[in-house]
Amino acid sequence: MSTTSTATGGDGPVPPPRTSASGAAADSPTFDGTAPAPPVLVGPAADAGGDVAWPAGVPVAEPTAPVVADVEPGRVRWDPAERRARASQSFWTALVGVPAIFSVLRLGVEAGGELQTTLLLVANVGPVNLLAGFLTTAARLLSAGLVAVFALGAVLAVSADRLPPGSRRRPLFARWADITPAWVVLASFLLALITWPLLYLPLLLPAFVAAFQLRPGRLHDRVVPRLLLIGALLAGYGWLMLPTLRAAVQQGDESLVLALIVVPPLLALFIAGPLPGMVIRPLASVTEVAVLATLVWAAVPVISTPVLPLTVTTVGPESGPTEDVRGHVVTTDDVNMVILQEKGGVRYVPVGLVRAQVLCPSEEELPRHQLRIHDFHVEDSLLEGMGRRVRPVHRIDAACRTPA
Amino acid sequence: MNSGSSSSRLRSIASTLAVALTLVLAAAAGCDSREEPALPSVQEKMRETHIYGQSKLRIGVATNEPLMGELRNGQHVGFDVEIARYIAASLGYEGDQRLEFVSVATEDRIPSLQGGTVDLVVSSFSITEDRKKLVSFAGPYFVTTQEVMVPVRLKDKVRTIEDLRDPAYKVCTSGGSTTEAELEKHQVRTFVVKDVGDCVDGIRKGRYDAVSSDESILAGFLASFPKEFEIVDMPFGTSELLGIGVPIGDPALRDLVAYFLQKSYEQGRDGDASPWQTAYNRTLGPWLKAEKRQPQPLEVPKLVDFDDKAPAK
Repeated sequence: MSTTSTATGGDGPVPPPRTSASGAAADSPTFDGTAPAPPVLVGPAADAGGDVAWPAGVPVAEPTAPVVADVEPGRVRWDPAERRARASQSFWTALVGVPAIFSVLRLGVEAGGELQTTLLLVANVGPVNLLAGFLTTAARLLSAGLVAVFALGAVLAVSADRLPPGSRRRPLFARWADITPAWVVLASFLLALITWPLLYLPLLLPAFVAAFQLRPGRLHDRVVPRLLLIGALLAGYGWLMLPTLRAAVQQGDESLVLALIVVPPLLALFIAGPLPGMVIRPLASVTEVAVLATLVWAAVPVISTPVLPLTVTTVGPESGPTEDVRGHVVTTDDVNMVILQEKGGVRYVPVGLVRAQVLCPSEEELPRHQLRIHDFHVEDSLLEGMGRRVRPVHRIDAACRTPA
Repeated sequence: MNSGSSSSRLRSIASTLAVALTLVLAAAAGCDSREEPALPSVQEKMRETHIYGQSKLRIGVATNEPLMGELRNGQHVGFDVEIARYIAASLGYEGDQRLEFVSVATEDRIPSLQGGTVDLVVSSFSITEDRKKLVSFAGPYFVTTQEVMVPVRLKDKVRTIEDLRDPAYKVCTSGGSTTEAELEKHQVRTFVVKDVGDCVDGIRKGRYDAVSSDESILAGFLASFPKEFEIVDMPFGTSELLGIGVPIGDPALRDLVAYFLQKSYEQGRDGDASPWQTAYNRTLGPWLKAEKRQPQPLEVPKLVDFDDKAPAK
């Protein structure tokens, strides 16, 4: 029996030729003398009774299909190296492809669904700008997705051996967490750390503990120093957050903020699994659907976030009446300034008529909470907060107040 | 063995709860991030005002009160005018193209707001309970006191309110002002003219002997004729809170004006150069006896604005 499974494992359903050779050779030591042969031939050779010398005309690809059909579905064992190679391939494909596709979709939305306007944008917005613009708005969504997958995956993976007997596959996120190199996980957490609003950063704590399985036991072998260490860590966190908590209590009606600040560090103490066998399967399926749904739901605002900065351009002849055009400047040449108006439509303004232009904030940037953590606004990310320290004064130009 | 398995079960239940709670919190955070701000924003208030979409903002100012509101070489200058410019720019009206100063006499300040000929009045407009029934006020943006100004020849003769009651001295003031009511309360017979400037003219021509008004207004005339007049410090005992007049039917505009005054107040309190301080230093500052600071505006609404995330220090 073992020979068959090794054999099928060696040949695999659709093996990419690059990496499989060495893996297959290493995996099939039972086949004396067959190892040097091309791996595709191993399966049929075993079926045919171990005859090694094949005539030259034997078809190569044909017999693989029945072999795969014989194999119990879901039992296909991939060679780990090969699997990793494919995973990394799909990872990089997704990393480049998803932003590219999203960026192009965003252009269509930005253009108000008009084909000609979309083409105008495509012609004038460079791919690098587009990608950079996308990353600045989507980084927090992207990192949130990755963090959720890795944290859940690690918890599910450590609980997987408790699965009720008869379960065949490990949960999807667990497999993803298995094959992802630690540096990718770490990078996702770092990206989240600098792009998430400060208010949501405490959630990163249990997620990090879960993803790297940092049980309290790892802190110290003995119980008392362990408790002291935990106490010290929590006290440090409390010192950081206490003024904010006090302000939140004073403002009232900020129960979510209170929960978001207080609860996650406590959860971090218990989150590192393993989970009871009976909840693994439902948790895995529910979270898979939930993460997917959340990503789709959160992707809508990302798609509809403008690609180009919002400006107000004052247009009018010298010493004559002026008009404010609110919109996004697509391009400027010697003759015209092309403005995609906020209310829709493209406006070609002769360059000679442009009197002034100012950059304006959009209403989505208005804060929802009036709280700060040591003078960093809770809705700023660390990056934004640091940026505000570099350029502290932000004056809203009068023209931005005028209606569109 | 048994205790080990039960503690492990407890652990796994705690883990389950922790995972579930974290997911719930994350979901709540996600929903929260998509919500609208609870407080109204400046932009929302703007949409409620009667000036929204108006191409020009009309502000009523005085044209004959030196240092406060004056028309000099066709240009409106003065403390009130500078405050008006700041409020207008904050509301989105910057530059002469979009801002129209309307000359408003002291007695016409309320009717012009009621009649809709101006959108705001910034013209040494004292906040009083009686006026609050007719117009709304945002402010105060300046606190002053009532004083009396006499020509230099009388500076030793008119020193007290008692002296003013002497029928030998003709006391002049502007009609519809708080000073008029205050003098009446002290049984001082007054000659009421249209503007304080007319009183000053009258004194220089020998028609009147003293003029009473806000210190800030008198300081302006003193600045114009420093050799001819002197301000006499009299204990009238009332402080005048100058506010910006807004039509009573437009609470959103009043809120916005108050909000922008508060913004300037906060800037000044932190020791920065606030718009108020700049206006004061350029106009009234050098002419008043005592250094003044911007008073804290009253009834300021809490609004959300784009620069709320800026660091406080």
